[in-house]
Amino acid sequence: MRALKRVATASTAGLLLMGCQGGLQPVLGLNQQLSQLGESQSPSLASDWLALIATRPGGRAQVQLIDRRRNAPVPLLGLNRPDSLPISVAVDQRGELLAVVRLRDDRSELVLYRRSIQVSQPVPIEPAAVPSRVSISADGRVLAVEVSRSGLWQVDLLELP
Amino acid sequence: MPSSAPFLPPAAAADPVIPHRATTVPVSTTKRLLPVACLLGLALSSCALMPLRRQPAAPTGLGAESRQQPALSGDGRLLASLVERAGRTTVLLQERQSGRVLPLRHLRNRQPHSSPSLSWNGRYLAVVVQQGGRRQAVIEDRATGQQHPLFLPAGQEPQQLSLAPDGQSIALELIQAGSQRLQLFSLSGMLEPDRPPGLRESGGGPSAQP
Repeated sequence: MRALKRVATASTAGLLLMGCQGGLQPVLGLNQQLSQLGESQSPSLASDWLALIATRPGGRAQVQLIDRRRNAPVPLLGLNRPDSLPISVAVDQRGELLAVVRLRDDRSELVLYRRSIQVSQPVPIEPAAVPSRVSISADGRVLAVEVSRSGLWQVDLLELP
Repeated sequence: MPSSAPFLPPAAAADPVIPHRATTVPVSTTKRLLPVACLLGLALSSCALMPLRRQPAAPTGLGAESRQQPALSGDGRLLASLVERAGRTTVLLQERQSGRVLPLRHLRNRQPHSSPSLSWNGRYLAVVVQQGGRRQAVIEDRATGQQHPLFLPAGQEPQQLSLAPDGQSIALELIQAGSQRLQLFSLSGMLEPDRPPGLRESGGGPSAQP
């Protein structure tokens, strides 16, 4: 009888927990793809795209862009360089613009990568500051950059044409 | 393009190629700088280079204060960032252009906040909060005033998150067994879509176009 009560209690708790989790469902196909990338961080999600920084065991951190419709990474030619280390990435809704903060030659820099033409544009921070994190509006028109300037954390806003 | 080749020649790399055009720069100065910028742009990669216009983050009414982890709504109208309030790291939601602060209902007394993320029109704000002794991801629906806590299996805590602009999925950076892993979750059974105007009307944004 006691065992039956325990089973009933556990079942009730399980049902309650499932109820609390209602609506939060793992996306299995993509999560399987993510598990193959090694350690992953700095997610930036769009409806059809997921940008992130992944580090395979024994490898270097690299920016990855995953096409959510195919659950597969797409090439980012020229973006991941052997002399730089990405620390933050953001992608717009179309998967066309990627804003990346990376360490290069012991300096932190912000670049804007246009995927269709595979070109990175350095984005200078003025007045001088050290960028550490970036966000892009999904419409691809505004960048918000966390910077360290004169001992203070600040946010710079840059409008893209 | 060889990935190991430097993107800029040394001379150009030493001197920023695309200076930001601050909103306060006189028009005549801008006109003088424009041909130079265009020539440099053409020399490097034609239309790939874009002039950028810098806008200081909206003031919060407290002077120059520390501000971290910015997140823009999909339409760029709203900015969420972290500021210090009474010694507690707190998410602040503002209109980007005016700096007007928008109220948030459910996040008080759950600091420190971290990793804010906004949907397209800013209807949804997802953020990591402190819940008892644990970190927890929650989503505040600004249109209905509802709060949606995201419950994860024991042993998993969110570090960072990113909400899809339409509010239909979320990526969580989880710490599990000492390693960082991203996991994607669907929210389609939990949240109404928050899409750009013209696709569907949604709370927090302008009226939809048929």
